[in-house]
Amino acid sequence: MAEKFDNLEEHLEKFVENIRQLGIIVSDFQPSSQTGLNQKLNYMISGLQDIEKCRQQLHDINVPLEVFEYIDQGRNPQLYTKECLERALAKNEQVKGKNDTLTKFKSLLISELGKVFPEEMAKYKAIHGDDPPS
Amino acid sequence: MTEMLSSLYGQPDSQGPAGPSALGCGSGKSRVTLSQNMGPMRFPHQMVDEGGPIRKPAAMNEPFYMLQELPMENELTGDTNLITHYNLEHAYNKFCGKKVKEKLSNFLPELPGMIDSPSIQDNSSMRSLIEKPPVCNNSFSPLSGAMLTGFRLHTGPLPEQYRLMHIQPQKKKNKHKHKHHRPQDPLPPETPSDSDHKKKKKKKDDDPDRKKKKKDKKKKKNRRSPDQPGMTGAQPSSSSLR
Repeated sequence: MAEKFDNLEEHLEKFVENIRQLGIIVSDFQPSSQTGLNQKLNYMISGLQDIEKCRQQLHDINVPLEVFEYIDQGRNPQLYTKECLERALAKNEQVKGKNDTLTKFKSLLISELGKVFPEEMAKYKAIHGDDPPS
Repeated sequence: MTEMLSSLYGQPDSQGPAGPSALGCGSGKSRVTLSQNMGPMRFPHQMVDEGGPIRKPAAMNEPFYMLQELPMENELTGDTNLITHYNLEHAYNKFCGKKVKEKLSNFLPELPGMIDSPSIQDNSSMRSLIEKPPVCNNSFSPLSGAMLTGFRLHTGPLPEQYRLMHIQPQKKKNKHKHKHHRPQDPLPPETPSDSDHKKKKKKKDDDPDRKKKKKDKKKKKNRRSPDQPGMTGAQPSSSSLR
Protein backbone atom coordinates (compact mmCIF):
# COMPACT_ATOMS: atom_id res chain seq x y z
CA MET A 1 0.00 0.00 0.00
CA ALA A 2 2.72 2.44 0.97
CA GLU A 3 4.74 1.46 -2.09
CA LYS A 4 2.02 2.73 -4.42
CA PHE A 5 2.09 6.12 -2.67
CA ASP A 6 5.89 6.20 -2.67
CA ASN A 7 5.94 5.53 -6.38
CA LEU A 8 3.41 8.29 -7.08
CA GLU A 9 5.20 10.67 -4.75
CA GLU A 10 8.50 10.06 -6.52
CA HIS A 11 6.97 10.76 -9.92
CA LEU A 12 5.25 13.90 -8.65
CA GLU A 13 8.47 15.23 -7.12
CA LYS A 14 10.35 14.68 -10.37
CA PHE A 15 7.56 16.36 -12.28
CA VAL A 16 7.51 19.39 -9.99
CA GLU A 17 11.30 19.68 -10.14
CA ASN A 18 11.17 19.53 -13.92
CA ILE A 19 8.55 22.29 -14.00
CA ARG A 20 10.63 24.39 -11.63
CA GLN A 21 13.69 24.05 -13.84
CA LEU A 22 11.52 24.91 -16.84
CA GLY A 23 10.51 28.09 -15.06
CA ILE A 24 14.15 28.97 -14.40
CA ILE A 25 15.01 28.54 -18.08
CA VAL A 26 12.07 30.67 -19.16
CA SER A 27 12.69 33.40 -16.57
CA ASP A 28 15.82 34.51 -18.43
CA PHE A 29 15.75 32.82 -21.81
CA GLN A 30 18.77 32.57 -24.05
CA PRO A 31 18.91 31.11 -27.60
CA SER A 32 21.26 28.36 -26.40
CA SER A 33 18.57 27.26 -23.90
CA GLN A 34 16.13 26.23 -26.65
CA THR A 35 17.24 22.60 -26.79
CA GLY A 36 17.09 22.36 -23.02
CA LEU A 37 13.61 23.86 -23.07
CA ASN A 38 12.42 21.35 -25.65
CA GLN A 39 13.89 18.54 -23.59
CA LYS A 40 12.16 19.77 -20.45
CA LEU A 41 8.83 19.99 -22.30
CA ASN A 42 9.12 16.38 -23.39
CA TYR A 43 10.14 15.35 -19.87
CA MET A 44 6.99 17.07 -18.66
CA ILE A 45 4.88 14.96 -21.02
CA SER A 46 6.66 11.73 -20.02
CA GLY A 47 6.15 12.74 -16.38
CA LEU A 48 2.44 13.05 -16.99
CA GLN A 49 2.46 9.62 -18.64
CA ASP A 50 4.17 8.11 -15.58
CA ILE A 51 1.66 9.75 -13.26
CA GLU A 52 -1.20 8.37 -15.33
CA LYS A 53 0.27 4.85 -15.04
CA CYS A 54 0.22 5.23 -11.26
CA ARG A 55 -3.51 5.93 -11.43
CA GLN A 56 -4.33 2.28 -12.08
CA GLN A 57 -2.74 1.19 -8.83
CA LEU A 58 -4.69 3.77 -6.83
CA HIS A 59 -8.16 3.40 -8.31
CA ASP A 60 -9.57 2.19 -4.96
CA ILE A 61 -8.32 5.20 -2.98
CA ASN A 62 -11.05 7.69 -2.07
CA VAL A 63 -10.28 11.24 -1.02
CA PRO A 64 -12.99 13.31 0.69
CA LEU A 65 -13.90 16.48 -1.15
CA GLU A 66 -13.60 18.56 2.01
CA VAL A 67 -9.83 18.06 1.93
CA PHE A 68 -9.72 19.92 -1.38
CA GLU A 69 -11.40 22.88 0.26
CA TYR A 70 -8.62 23.03 2.83
CA ILE A 71 -5.99 22.87 0.07
CA ASP A 72 -7.74 25.55 -1.96
CA GLN A 73 -7.70 27.83 1.08
CA GLY A 74 -3.97 27.24 1.54
CA ARG A 75 -4.46 25.28 4.76
CA ASN A 76 -2.74 22.12 5.91
CA PRO A 77 -4.88 19.08 4.99
CA GLN A 78 -3.76 17.36 8.19
CA LEU A 79 -6.04 19.83 9.96
CA TYR A 80 -8.98 18.08 8.29
CA THR A 81 -7.85 14.75 9.75
CA LYS A 82 -7.39 16.35 13.14
CA GLU A 83 -10.84 17.92 13.05
CA CYS A 84 -12.43 14.63 11.95
CA LEU A 85 -10.87 12.78 14.87
CA GLU A 86 -11.88 15.48 17.33
CA ARG A 87 -15.44 15.54 16.02
CA ALA A 88 -15.67 11.75 16.22
CA LEU A 89 -14.47 11.78 19.81
CA ALA A 90 -16.84 14.59 20.79
CA LYS A 91 -19.78 12.80 19.18
CA ASN A 92 -18.79 9.56 20.90
CA GLU A 93 -18.80 11.30 24.25
CA GLN A 94 -22.14 12.92 23.53
CA VAL A 95 -23.82 9.68 22.50
CA LYS A 96 -22.28 7.78 25.41
CA GLY A 97 -23.70 10.37 27.79
CA LYS A 98 -27.14 9.96 26.24
CA ASN A 99 -26.88 6.18 26.38
CA ASP A 100 -25.80 6.19 30.02
CA THR A 101 -28.65 8.53 30.95
CA LEU A 102 -31.19 6.36 29.13
CA THR A 103 -29.84 3.22 30.80
CA LYS A 104 -30.25 4.80 34.22
CA PHE A 105 -33.72 5.96 33.29
CA LYS A 106 -34.63 2.46 32.13
CA SER A 107 -33.53 0.86 35.37
CA LEU A 108 -35.41 3.46 37.42
CA LEU A 109 -38.52 3.05 35.29
CA ILE A 110 -38.46 -0.72 35.58
CA SER A 111 -38.10 -0.54 39.33
CA GLU A 112 -40.98 1.93 39.64
CA LEU A 113 -43.17 0.04 37.19
CA GLY A 114 -42.45 -3.12 39.13
CA LYS A 115 -43.98 -1.48 42.16
CA VAL A 116 -47.08 -0.29 40.31
CA PHE A 117 -47.60 -3.14 37.81
CA PRO A 118 -45.96 -6.19 39.36
CA GLU A 119 -47.71 -8.76 37.19
CA GLU A 120 -47.02 -7.02 33.93
CA MET A 121 -43.42 -6.40 34.90
CA ALA A 122 -43.06 -10.07 35.79
CA LYS A 123 -44.20 -10.91 32.26
CA TYR A 124 -41.78 -8.36 30.87
CA LYS A 125 -38.90 -9.83 32.82
CA ALA A 126 -39.89 -13.33 31.76
CA ILE A 127 -39.73 -12.30 28.10
CA HIS A 128 -36.76 -9.97 28.16
CA GLY A 129 -34.85 -11.36 31.08
CA ASP A 130 -33.82 -9.66 34.27
CA ASP A 131 -32.11 -6.34 33.71
CA PRO A 132 -28.78 -5.87 35.48
CA PRO A 133 -28.90 -3.54 38.46
CA SER A 134 -27.98 0.04 37.65
CA MET B 1 -55.31 -4.70 38.29
CA THR B 2 -58.16 -2.43 37.30
CA GLU B 3 -58.81 -1.63 40.92
CA MET B 4 -55.22 -0.54 41.35
CA LEU B 5 -55.39 1.67 38.30
CA SER B 6 -58.61 3.27 39.37
CA SER B 7 -57.23 3.99 42.79
CA LEU B 8 -54.15 5.52 41.23
CA TYR B 9 -56.03 7.80 38.93
CA GLY B 10 -58.97 8.60 41.28
CA GLN B 11 -61.69 7.13 39.07
CA PRO B 12 -64.88 5.67 40.64
CA ASP B 13 -65.43 1.95 40.49
CA SER B 14 -68.41 2.29 38.20
CA GLN B 15 -66.07 3.67 35.65
CA GLY B 16 -63.57 0.96 36.30
CA PRO B 17 -63.77 -0.69 32.92
CA ALA B 18 -63.60 2.69 31.23
CA GLY B 19 -60.51 3.68 33.16
CA PRO B 20 -58.13 1.05 31.90
CA SER B 21 -59.72 1.11 28.50
CA ALA B 22 -59.09 4.79 28.26
CA LEU B 23 -55.52 4.19 29.34
CA GLY B 24 -55.14 1.36 26.91
CA CYS B 25 -53.76 -1.18 29.32
CA GLY B 26 -55.09 -3.96 31.42
CA SER B 27 -55.67 -7.66 31.66
CA GLY B 28 -57.35 -9.90 29.19
CA LYS B 29 -60.81 -9.23 30.57
CA SER B 30 -60.76 -5.64 29.56
CA ARG B 31 -59.60 -6.46 26.07
CA VAL B 32 -63.17 -6.90 24.91
CA THR B 33 -64.16 -3.53 26.30
CA LEU B 34 -61.19 -1.97 24.57
CA SER B 35 -62.29 -3.26 21.24
CA GLN B 36 -65.87 -2.27 21.87
CA ASN B 37 -65.24 1.20 23.21
CA MET B 38 -62.29 2.44 21.26
CA GLY B 39 -62.25 0.31 18.18
CA PRO B 40 -59.41 -1.93 17.17
CA MET B 41 -56.30 -0.90 19.05
CA ARG B 42 -53.28 -0.95 16.85
CA PHE B 43 -49.77 -0.46 18.11
CA PRO B 44 -47.35 1.09 15.67
CA HIS B 45 -45.09 -1.87 15.10
CA GLN B 46 -47.93 -4.33 14.99
CA MET B 47 -48.84 -2.87 11.66
CA VAL B 48 -45.55 -4.09 10.30
CA ASP B 49 -45.22 -7.81 10.33
CA GLU B 50 -41.55 -8.49 10.66
CA GLY B 51 -41.89 -12.26 10.69
CA GLY B 52 -41.48 -15.15 13.07
CA PRO B 53 -37.78 -15.39 13.85
CA ILE B 54 -37.58 -11.90 15.30
CA ARG B 55 -40.64 -11.90 17.56
CA LYS B 56 -41.77 -14.53 19.98
CA PRO B 57 -45.37 -15.67 19.58
CA ALA B 58 -46.07 -15.08 23.26
CA ALA B 59 -45.06 -11.45 22.92
CA MET B 60 -47.06 -10.71 19.82
CA ASN B 61 -50.45 -10.86 21.44
CA GLU B 62 -49.54 -8.78 24.46
CA PRO B 63 -51.23 -5.42 24.78
CA PHE B 64 -48.19 -3.76 26.29
CA TYR B 65 -45.88 -2.14 23.79
CA MET B 66 -42.99 -2.94 26.08
CA LEU B 67 -43.70 -6.65 25.87
CA GLN B 68 -42.92 -6.69 22.18
CA GLU B 69 -39.61 -8.07 21.10
CA LEU B 70 -36.71 -5.67 21.35
CA PRO B 71 -34.74 -4.79 18.19
CA MET B 72 -31.55 -6.67 17.43
CA GLU B 73 -28.60 -5.28 19.33
CA ASN B 74 -25.63 -4.01 17.40
CA GLU B 75 -22.12 -4.55 18.71
CA LEU B 76 -20.91 -1.22 17.39
CA THR B 77 -22.94 1.67 18.78
CA GLY B 78 -22.41 5.40 19.03
CA ASP B 79 -21.09 5.17 22.56
CA THR B 80 -18.19 2.82 21.74
CA ASN B 81 -14.88 4.60 21.36
CA LEU B 82 -14.47 4.40 17.61
CA ILE B 83 -10.86 5.53 17.80
CA THR B 84 -9.84 2.49 19.83
CA HIS B 85 -12.21 0.25 17.87
CA TYR B 86 -10.52 1.11 14.58
CA ASN B 87 -7.01 1.29 16.14
CA LEU B 88 -6.56 4.98 15.44
CA GLU B 89 -4.88 5.86 18.72
CA HIS B 90 -1.54 6.47 17.06
CA ALA B 91 -3.16 8.74 14.49
CA TYR B 92 -5.05 10.59 17.23
CA ASN B 93 -1.88 11.20 19.24
CA LYS B 94 -0.05 12.28 16.11
CA PHE B 95 -2.63 14.80 14.91
CA CYS B 96 -4.32 15.91 18.13
CA GLY B 97 -1.46 15.51 20.60
CA LYS B 98 0.93 17.80 18.77
CA LYS B 99 0.23 21.14 17.26
CA VAL B 100 -0.48 20.89 13.55
CA LYS B 101 0.70 23.89 11.58
CA GLU B 102 -1.89 25.90 9.74
CA LYS B 103 -0.25 26.59 6.39
CA LEU B 104 -0.09 24.34 3.38
CA SER B 105 3.61 25.11 2.95
CA ASN B 106 4.29 23.40 6.27
CA PHE B 107 2.77 20.22 4.84
CA LEU B 108 4.60 20.56 1.52
CA PRO B 109 7.82 22.44 2.29
CA GLU B 110 9.58 21.35 -0.90
CA LEU B 111 6.88 22.58 -3.22
CA PRO B 112 7.95 25.79 -4.98
CA GLY B 113 5.77 28.84 -5.43
CA MET B 114 3.24 30.68 -3.30
CA ILE B 115 0.97 27.85 -2.19
CA ASP B 116 -0.37 29.45 0.99
CA SER B 117 -2.51 31.95 -0.86
CA PRO B 118 -6.07 30.91 -1.77
CA SER B 119 -6.14 29.18 -5.12
CA ILE B 120 -9.17 31.14 -6.28
CA GLN B 121 -6.91 34.17 -6.76
CA ASP B 122 -4.93 32.56 -9.57
CA ASN B 123 -7.74 30.30 -10.77
CA SER B 124 -5.91 27.11 -9.80
CA SER B 125 -8.42 25.64 -7.36
CA MET B 126 -8.92 21.90 -7.20
CA ARG B 127 -12.62 22.45 -6.81
CA SER B 128 -12.83 23.99 -10.27
CA LEU B 129 -10.86 21.05 -11.63
CA ILE B 130 -13.43 18.63 -10.25
CA GLU B 131 -16.47 20.66 -11.24
CA LYS B 132 -15.20 21.58 -14.70
CA PRO B 133 -12.57 19.04 -15.79
CA PRO B 134 -10.53 20.20 -18.77
CA VAL B 135 -11.43 18.65 -22.11
CA CYS B 136 -8.41 16.73 -23.41
CA ASN B 137 -7.42 13.57 -25.21
CA ASN B 138 -7.05 10.31 -23.38
CA SER B 139 -3.37 9.83 -24.16
CA PHE B 140 -0.22 11.90 -23.75
CA SER B 141 1.97 12.02 -26.85
CA PRO B 142 5.40 13.69 -27.01
CA LEU B 143 5.75 16.91 -28.96
CA SER B 144 7.03 16.62 -32.49
CA GLY B 145 9.50 19.02 -34.10
CA ALA B 146 6.75 21.03 -35.72
CA MET B 147 4.89 21.39 -32.44
CA LEU B 148 8.06 22.49 -30.65
CA THR B 149 8.45 25.45 -33.01
CA GLY B 150 5.61 27.03 -31.08
CA PHE B 151 7.86 27.13 -28.02
CA ARG B 152 10.51 29.38 -29.51
CA LEU B 153 10.86 32.19 -27.00
CA HIS B 154 12.28 35.67 -27.14
CA THR B 155 15.60 36.19 -25.39
CA GLY B 156 15.87 38.19 -22.22
CA PRO B 157 14.18 38.24 -18.81
CA LEU B 158 10.48 37.84 -18.21
CA PRO B 159 8.21 40.90 -18.04
CA GLU B 160 7.70 42.17 -14.50
CA GLN B 161 4.10 41.07 -14.29
CA TYR B 162 5.14 37.42 -14.65
CA ARG B 163 8.25 37.49 -12.44
CA LEU B 164 6.42 37.08 -9.14
CA MET B 165 4.90 33.74 -10.17
CA HIS B 166 7.71 31.58 -8.88
CA ILE B 167 8.98 33.56 -5.93
CA GLN B 168 8.86 31.42 -2.79
CA PRO B 169 7.71 32.82 0.53
CA GLN B 170 10.50 33.53 3.03
CA LYS B 171 10.89 30.87 5.64
CA LYS B 172 11.15 32.41 9.10
CA LYS B 173 13.14 29.76 10.90
CA ASN B 174 15.82 27.72 9.25
CA LYS B 175 17.31 25.73 12.05
CA HIS B 176 18.77 23.08 9.77
CA LYS B 177 20.66 24.52 6.88
CA HIS B 178 19.97 22.59 3.69
CA LYS B 179 23.13 21.13 2.26
CA HIS B 180 21.56 20.51 -1.14
CA HIS B 181 21.47 23.78 -2.96
CA ARG B 182 19.25 23.96 -6.00
CA PRO B 183 21.10 25.09 -9.12
CA GLN B 184 20.29 28.34 -10.87
CA ASP B 185 17.53 29.66 -8.67
CA PRO B 186 15.98 32.79 -10.15
CA LEU B 187 16.31 34.59 -6.80
CA PRO B 188 19.78 35.34 -5.41
CA PRO B 189 20.45 33.50 -2.14
CA GLU B 190 20.74 36.75 -0.18
CA THR B 191 18.27 39.36 -1.23
CA PRO B 192 18.39 42.82 0.35
CA SER B 193 15.37 41.96 2.45
CA ASP B 194 17.12 38.82 3.69
CA SER B 195 20.30 40.72 4.60
CA ASP B 196 18.27 43.29 6.50
CA HIS B 197 16.46 40.47 8.22
CA LYS B 198 19.76 38.91 9.23
CA LYS B 199 21.11 42.24 10.44
CA LYS B 200 17.95 42.75 12.46
CA LYS B 201 18.39 39.26 13.89
CA LYS B 202 21.96 40.07 14.82
CA LYS B 203 20.85 43.28 16.47
CA LYS B 204 18.17 41.43 18.34
CA ASP B 205 20.71 38.86 19.46
CA ASP B 206 23.01 41.63 20.61
CA ASP B 207 20.29 43.54 22.42
CA PRO B 208 19.55 40.96 25.12
CA ASP B 209 23.28 40.60 25.72
CA ARG B 210 23.57 44.34 26.03
CA LYS B 211 20.61 44.43 28.36
CA LYS B 212 22.15 41.77 30.53
CA LYS B 213 25.39 43.69 30.67
CA LYS B 214 23.53 46.85 31.62
CA LYS B 215 21.68 45.01 34.34
CA ASP B 216 24.91 43.60 35.69
CA LYS B 217 26.43 47.06 35.73
CA LYS B 218 23.41 48.44 37.56
CA LYS B 219 23.62 45.70 40.13
CA LYS B 220 27.26 46.40 40.66
CA LYS B 221 26.54 50.09 41.11
CA ASN B 222 23.80 49.35 43.58
CA ARG B 223 26.12 47.14 45.52
CA ARG B 224 28.85 49.78 45.52
CA SER B 225 26.60 52.65 46.65
CA PRO B 226 26.13 51.43 50.22
CA ASP B 227 29.86 50.64 50.30
CA GLN B 228 30.92 54.28 50.26
CA PRO B 229 33.76 55.36 52.60
CA GLY B 230 32.49 55.64 56.15
CA MET B 231 29.76 53.12 55.50
CA THR B 232 29.89 49.36 56.08
CA GLY B 233 28.19 46.69 54.02
CA ALA B 234 26.54 45.25 57.12
CA GLN B 235 24.40 48.34 57.56
CA PRO B 236 22.41 48.67 54.37
CA SER B 237 19.39 50.23 56.07
CA SER B 238 21.32 53.07 57.61
CA SER B 239 21.20 54.91 54.29
CA SER B 240 17.38 54.91 54.37
CA LEU B 241 17.30 56.41 57.85
CA ARG B 242 19.27 59.36 56.63
